[in-house]
Amino acid sequence: MTAVSTRAVAEHLPPPRGRRSAGPSRRPGRGKMLPYLLMSPALLAIAALLGFPAVLVLITSFQKLDLGELVTGRTVWVGFDNFRTVLSDPGFWTDTVHTIVFTAGCVLATMVVGLLVALLLTKLGKVVRIFLQLALVLAWAMPILAATTVFQWMFDAHYGILNKTLVKLGLTGFTNHSWFNSGFSTLVIIGILIVWQATPFVAFTVYAGLVSIPGEIYEASSLDGASAWQTFRSVSWPGVRPILALTAFLQVLWDFKVFTQVWAIKEGGPDGGSTTLPVLQYLDGIADNHFGTAAAVSVLMIIIIVVITALYIRMLIRSQEVDL
Amino acid sequence: MRTSRGKRIGFSVVAVVIGLVFLFPVYWMVSSSVKPNIDILSTNYDLFPSSFTVQHFIDAVSAPDFLIFLRNSLFVSLSAVLCSLVFGVLMAVPLARFRFKGRRGFLLLLLIAQLTPFEAMLIPMYLMMRDLNLLNELPSLILVYFAATLPFTAWTLRGFVHGIPVDLEESAMVDGCGRWQAFRRVTLPLLGPGLVATAVYGFITAWNEFLYALVFMQDTDKFTLPVWLSTFQSVFGTDWGGTMAASTLFTVPVVVFFLIVQRNLVAGVTAGAVKG
Repeated sequence: MTAVSTRAVAEHLPPPRGRRSAGPSRRPGRGKMLPYLLMSPALLAIAALLGFPAVLVLITSFQKLDLGELVTGRTVWVGFDNFRTVLSDPGFWTDTVHTIVFTAGCVLATMVVGLLVALLLTKLGKVVRIFLQLALVLAWAMPILAATTVFQWMFDAHYGILNKTLVKLGLTGFTNHSWFNSGFSTLVIIGILIVWQATPFVAFTVYAGLVSIPGEIYEASSLDGASAWQTFRSVSWPGVRPILALTAFLQVLWDFKVFTQVWAIKEGGPDGGSTTLPVLQYLDGIADNHFGTAAAVSVLMIIIIVVITALYIRMLIRSQEVDL
Repeated sequence: MRTSRGKRIGFSVVAVVIGLVFLFPVYWMVSSSVKPNIDILSTNYDLFPSSFTVQHFIDAVSAPDFLIFLRNSLFVSLSAVLCSLVFGVLMAVPLARFRFKGRRGFLLLLLIAQLTPFEAMLIPMYLMMRDLNLLNELPSLILVYFAATLPFTAWTLRGFVHGIPVDLEESAMVDGCGRWQAFRRVTLPLLGPGLVATAVYGFITAWNEFLYALVFMQDTDKFTLPVWLSTFQSVFGTDWGGTMAASTLFTVPVVVFFLIVQRNLVAGVTAGAVKG
């Protein structure tokens, strides 16, 4: 549920590497149970507030749970009916296509722009670099809802700065052009908003990877007469490829479940044109009181997320970014 | 890598342009918030405000219930962060300091918990809070935000504890401190920057959260600032000046906290504390 800015900072913060001596040590004496005792409050909280809902969503997806059942408290098992309803609804497939194309577009754009900005950061003098870093940090730190309202204002049909600029450039066709009158254009604008806020995280992470490549390797490659492109191909790219892969996975995980921006900009409209799966789940469950079918949508989303997460964790452990 | 002078200037120009693009929405929010309405709702082209007003800020702050929303947001965010820190430290210390059965498993559990898609847990959370009679009550949000920030907090703090040399604690114990005293007098103070950093990230997460606040809270006086911001336009018509002033007010604490963290994360607090 973490928000763009936060989640990004959060992940960006590398766990400080201590000296080996700081590692786990065998403590002599009493208290074999002490570690478990200390961890138990957190473990209980995780079990109750993460584990239990995860089980509950699965159970609910096999029940008919509308307003009636909710009030009377009756449990009505319906097997796979909810999944059948969801999967046979053409609207669900439209929303799934929206979500997948939207996620792919956002992740691709974020990764490309982030990588280019990171490469640019390595070529700058101190003053310009700090200016660019500051600009990135501000875009990153901006609360999602504030960013969303600013985008609505910039893209406003009548007084928005974008239309004013386009008209001033001679494109008078954009006078009072409404950017939110089609699902496609609405999703593109939401995508720009997401890419704008997610790029700083990718840029900073990749930049950190780039500067950790020893300078001698670059010197050696320039002594050997390598061109800039060759240097990038044979030195920078292999150096940052694992970091790029990991950040790309995180972006997929985050962009796939985005709700705030999509809902706050146009509530999934016009006519459901910008509805993604998280919005569908909200509309089914909370707005229409079909908790069973909404839970089925959630379960389908979770299955996709679990697969991506498993691949991510496997890669994370293999890359030895974390030591378990 | 050597770069020629001409190229360097070229890169700098590109970098400044990109920087301005990234800054623009932030700039536009602030500059719109100080423009008088007559300038905002005009067809004139104005990238820079020609006259200033603080009226929008006064409107936003004196809008009905603004202080209530601010209090709600602060209350849920700070409570969630406080719980996360206490539970997180308790989990982080054994994971970083002890060797026991199942340690790797617990670490993996934290890693997975950290990646839990909270957006996909909306329905069960809603049903759970309904059964607990917590819908439309602020503690429901505290619970969700606590659960959302706890795994990350514990995971990160474990990294920070790991970074504090265990020798320090051991020297304190040689000097006659008990284990608890050694932890409290030596490790905990050194953990300060880590605590601040994780607290800030947790705070920003909770401060930003929209979906659960939107779904759980039904009465206006239970809204948090994000929900209020999302309703701003319908409440005020299209008062863009007011909306931008409110957004600016909402942004300021986050940016301030961001900068605090950067300053507090001075590396090597413990460097040189143990000779060896």
